[in-house]
Amino acid sequence: MRRSRSLVALVALSAVLAACSAKSTTGTTTDKDASGTDGPHKQGGTVTIANTAGQTWPCQFNPFNPAVNGQAIGFIYETLVHVSVVGNSKETPMLATGYKWSADGKTIVFTIRDGVKWSDGQAFSADDVVFTFNMMKAHPATDLYALWTGAGLQSVTAAGSEVTMTFNQTAKTYFYNLAGLVPIVPKHIFSTGEAAANPETWANTKPIGTGPYTMGTCGPNNIEYLANPTFWQPGKPYIQKVEYPAYLDNAPANNDLASGKAQWGGQFIPNIKAFYLAKSADNHTWSPPVLNVGLFPNLDPSHPITSKLEVRQAIAAALDRTQIALIGEGGQQPAANQTGVVVPTFDKYFDQAALTASGYDKPDVEKAKTLLASAGYSPAKPLKLTVITITGYTDWDASLAVIKQQLQPIGIDLTVDDLAQQTFVGKLFTGNFDLAYYAEPNSGPSPYYELRQLLHSKLTAPIGKNAISNYERYNNPEADKLLDDYATADEAGQVEIVKKLSAIMLRDVPVIPTTESVDWFQYNTSDILGWPTPENPYAEPSPYKVPDNEQVLLHLYSKAAQK
Amino acid sequence: MRYVLRRLGFFVLTLWAALTLNFFIPRFMPGSPLQALQIRTKNRLSPVALEQMLTSFGFKPNESVGVQYLDYLGHMFSGNWGVSIGATLGEPITKIVAQALPWTLGLVGTATVLSFLLGSMVGVVAGWRRGGALDSILPSVFVVTSALPYFWVGLLLILVFSVWTGGLLPSNFNYDSSLQPEFTAEFIGNVLQHAILPGLTIVITAVGGWVLTMRNNMITTLAEDYIRMGRAKGLSNRKIMYQYAARNAFLPNLSGFAMSLGFVISGAILVEYVFNYPGLGYLLYNAVQNTDYPLMQVLFMLFTVAVLVSVLLCDFATAWLDPRARAKG
Repeated sequence: MRRSRSLVALVALSAVLAACSAKSTTGTTTDKDASGTDGPHKQGGTVTIANTAGQTWPCQFNPFNPAVNGQAIGFIYETLVHVSVVGNSKETPMLATGYKWSADGKTIVFTIRDGVKWSDGQAFSADDVVFTFNMMKAHPATDLYALWTGAGLQSVTAAGSEVTMTFNQTAKTYFYNLAGLVPIVPKHIFSTGEAAANPETWANTKPIGTGPYTMGTCGPNNIEYLANPTFWQPGKPYIQKVEYPAYLDNAPANNDLASGKAQWGGQFIPNIKAFYLAKSADNHTWSPPVLNVGLFPNLDPSHPITSKLEVRQAIAAALDRTQIALIGEGGQQPAANQTGVVVPTFDKYFDQAALTASGYDKPDVEKAKTLLASAGYSPAKPLKLTVITITGYTDWDASLAVIKQQLQPIGIDLTVDDLAQQTFVGKLFTGNFDLAYYAEPNSGPSPYYELRQLLHSKLTAPIGKNAISNYERYNNPEADKLLDDYATADEAGQVEIVKKLSAIMLRDVPVIPTTESVDWFQYNTSDILGWPTPENPYAEPSPYKVPDNEQVLLHLYSKAAQK
Repeated sequence: MRYVLRRLGFFVLTLWAALTLNFFIPRFMPGSPLQALQIRTKNRLSPVALEQMLTSFGFKPNESVGVQYLDYLGHMFSGNWGVSIGATLGEPITKIVAQALPWTLGLVGTATVLSFLLGSMVGVVAGWRRGGALDSILPSVFVVTSALPYFWVGLLLILVFSVWTGGLLPSNFNYDSSLQPEFTAEFIGNVLQHAILPGLTIVITAVGGWVLTMRNNMITTLAEDYIRMGRAKGLSNRKIMYQYAARNAFLPNLSGFAMSLGFVISGAILVEYVFNYPGLGYLLYNAVQNTDYPLMQVLFMLFTVAVLVSVLLCDFATAWLDPRARAKG
């Protein structure tokens, strides 16, 4: 998915305006039957994916190259376990049939699945798993989740069909990364020739994997995946062909979705009701929220205004988030809340009582005025603030226009500074801003993953140095301790910790969430069924979410092929 | 001979200066390939691993700029252009450029030649029938069209011929993604269909300039004595128009045309962008967006060389055609 960019700004903006005049309150329409019936189903049918790549396909399938692994993982390469971000972090055993943590959380033993074959006919075994992880140690560039350096992985060994991994610390929170995201590669391919010498740069033009699909043909404009006849789940995948055209921009991808030429979309479609949903009764969308978008105030003392609590509290109190979501995002993203917990995706962790008690559950202009007055500002003596954002993110521009309007009456004069992405990122990383409009890009199966990125002091840096994800420079030992304790807590304890972190979000207002960013997902049910829906959220639904795409592909089937 | 040597020396000096600027200017841009990669991978991956990955692909931020610069100069000449470190991480630059170049040459090249021929012809006729119906309407129209921005014309054409007609003419890409490139009537027809709107955009905006200069040259030439002489001799109007007037009036336009051919390779960036046409212009946009130094360097180098070579050829042609240029040189 790519956002609409500057040149289509006019089109997008007019669409946003049209959407808000249409008073669309939700972008979600789902077909109750879209999930279809449980299998087994007959094989057949083709699915076409519409997801803007912004480039032609290089036809490389190295699962460790971050530029191309979106076309390799899930289709061709698989992980040990699938962990879903949506649907209460449901786990599906993939290449591992099971796993067991030691009591101290420092050792995990995976049981590796029997009877799996690589697509070239060779048998898959625990050796391949051990090889993959040890290769990541030998070639740190392939250790994309910093398992050996950050998570404290010490050794990976195999005994029979069991793989044991030991850590020098409690590593339970890294489970999502090590079991759910690391693609397992064949030892017999990656231990010879160029692949062994430079596994991080190897082109891998003829990928061999265990996944449900193999690469059929690949050209700059399209990749055609074919069902893997030796896939380990008997009778699957049902869909025999997957077409993945390389869309350079959103417009053609959106057009193909609207016409039904593509059935699986991961697109931002401005004015989706008129442009997509109204075109056919078979067109549906369900875009589950997974992260917060919001204002990042600079908390470093060198920024005296935004590091003042009253100012942040005033902004948080003044914002009418429902309006921002409705007008700025055209109702396609839900409103966020100050606890930092994304709802309804993570309802289990959400503390409604605390939010109501804090008063941030609804806009309170009088309270905001009082708070701002105590900081020395008023509508007569307005506070001038500048917020930086990325040029071309037209929905964010629209949201900021609404925010500016809402802050005016309490005495804040907001200037929106649209920057080129590189400039924006430079300023954000080094802390050279007062307010930044941004979203942490990396979601996880519970609010912990986002809150850790936002709040942990380990992930920040002094002004002038690149921060990893704590861009607002929040530093609180209490929050650090809660985040560190999360790893060893049981499920109830983890919910408790997230609620305590929410209390910190309400008390210190380190970040001011405005809307919730979603996984864009559109689907067409004229022939294909088995889609993830709010009733059956078995995986993150966007085609650009790997390895969740494999779960979706394994559920899909063609109605025409059933006759 | 001295003239040729001086031109050659000037060519080498300009090339060196341009290559040097091409190396340093991208590095003064805000952002770095690492930051761009971090954003593209949604901050999910370890920055250390990503930095090592970029190093494996030949990105050496910690090497001294002097060494990097010398390496760069060597690589530009040896054709050892390296691999992309941007959106197409790991793809050889030669392959990326080879994929995009034919599309730009085909689209922009053809459109430039067409608009030059068309513009010159209209200019000749308008200049000949000075004050006639054609002359009173067309030049003013072309003043307007040549002032229109590329992308605006492109968007307008998309709206009128693609959106309003329900997709009669394709508004993006070079051919349907369902087709595989092959020499069949269907594929070639599809490519031509996809080239109509972007080609038309270039012709509409470029033709005006040729019309105006050609018309003005024509009028100046028509005032020359040898034209009057031709008329006095009783030559046919047709002969005077084409062989006496147009032929001479054409010369200044021709050197302008040689120059504009040099600019063909840089593509009409905005046209390619608006129409999602995967040519060099689109490639450059993507390279800048992702701080892809190796790709940017090669593209800038190609653009520079193309312009310089056509200027050089133009200089040589002038020297050959016009003895005065040699004498002065």
